[in-house]
Amino acid sequence: MSVEQKVKEIVVDQLGISADEVKPEAKFVEDLGADSLDLTELIMAMEEEFDIEIDDEKAQELLTIQAVVDFIKANQ
Amino acid sequence: MDFPELRFKDLVARVPIIQGGMGVGISLSGLSSAVANQGGIGVISAAMIGMEEPDIAKNPEEANIRALQKEIAKAREMTSGILGVNIMVALSNFAELVKTSIRERMDIIFAGAGLPFDLPQYQTPESRTKLVPIISSARAARVMCKKWLSRFNYLPDGFVVEGPLAGGHLGFKKEQLENPEFKLENLVQEVVAEVRPFEDEHGQAIPVIAAGGIYSGEDICRFLRLGASGVQLGTRFVATHECDADMAFKQSFIDCTEEDLMIIKSPVGMPGRAMRNQFLEDVEKGGKKPFKCLYHCIVTCDYKQSPYCIASALANAKKGRMHKGFVFAGQTAHRIQEIMSVKELIESLRQEYAQACS
Repeated sequence: MSVEQKVKEIVVDQLGISADEVKPEAKFVEDLGADSLDLTELIMAMEEEFDIEIDDEKAQELLTIQAVVDFIKANQ
Repeated sequence: MDFPELRFKDLVARVPIIQGGMGVGISLSGLSSAVANQGGIGVISAAMIGMEEPDIAKNPEEANIRALQKEIAKAREMTSGILGVNIMVALSNFAELVKTSIRERMDIIFAGAGLPFDLPQYQTPESRTKLVPIISSARAARVMCKKWLSRFNYLPDGFVVEGPLAGGHLGFKKEQLENPEFKLENLVQEVVAEVRPFEDEHGQAIPVIAAGGIYSGEDICRFLRLGASGVQLGTRFVATHECDADMAFKQSFIDCTEEDLMIIKSPVGMPGRAMRNQFLEDVEKGGKKPFKCLYHCIVTCDYKQSPYCIASALANAKKGRMHKGFVFAGQTAHRIQEIMSVKELIESLRQEYAQACS
């Protein structure tokens, strides 16, 4: 499964939304209704899935699905 | 039946009552040491604790740290009991206040108003300070446990669960406050259930403390039966001789009616429960209390848009200058009838508890 697909799956699962809402440019807070706890859980799920570390400051910058995908690809 | 003990690992309080940290300057060495002397857990509020330091406007960070050290030393002189400090996560000098508290060997750090994701980072190998987040949902309990485990291999030493009836800043959206789904009875049971798998897996107890709207010994009995290991009370401790606020501040609790309690939109970005007065009515009508932000005390404070400085307003109220500030209060404030000693308060709670729980 590609990084894109895996990220999409995690977002759908964590936020309890439908897969067609998950577009690359979608913003977690504004478009997908995530709150700060959701964001923390999302980041933790990504860390676990891709076996990477995302520090808190970096996590603040990952506002969209695309940003997360890019970060994972660059750090894998 | 007497109170059960409240245990945080090696730390054992013989009265399962924590005095909630109340800022600015409401719970300092006087109140916290009195509670600790009665076997409960006394808590110093670190929020703008340096308000009386001469250089607070010039060097707020240094002044706050110095004042915290002084207040801890004063409290330690008056008690050998259990002392904690409440440090809001949103405070801009959170990290320094935490480091100071650990260095000064405070027994417990309570951290709320935001989730203290990096708190264990400041622990030192020899430190015995317990780290207890203040949360308002079972979800927050789960995320805190997972995050601390993954980053620090550290489980929270307990949780204070603060429900929608608490005073001061609240971890709920305004519309959640009156939704019965979020009542403390539910939250406590949900958090207890949420932490159980972590307790089982790591062989470590995570005591859950119920807070917000607890008034009588009967309430304490009810929450302990729901699975809480202890309770945290704030409002009741304001109406004590030992409380560090001015008498006019305490008197406002005696005079308070149910209609006086209101939810404000605090400049720091959370709702807060406060007591209606002229100051808040002026603000409600769009009045402004011009100020220059001197302290930059709260990271999330929208001070440019705020009609007043909340640190100054709360500090004024503490000093009894009620026309220049306002009082944060829990929903039970209107039930307060008289000022008593901390000893008398704990004794009356003990008797009510014994009656209700036997």
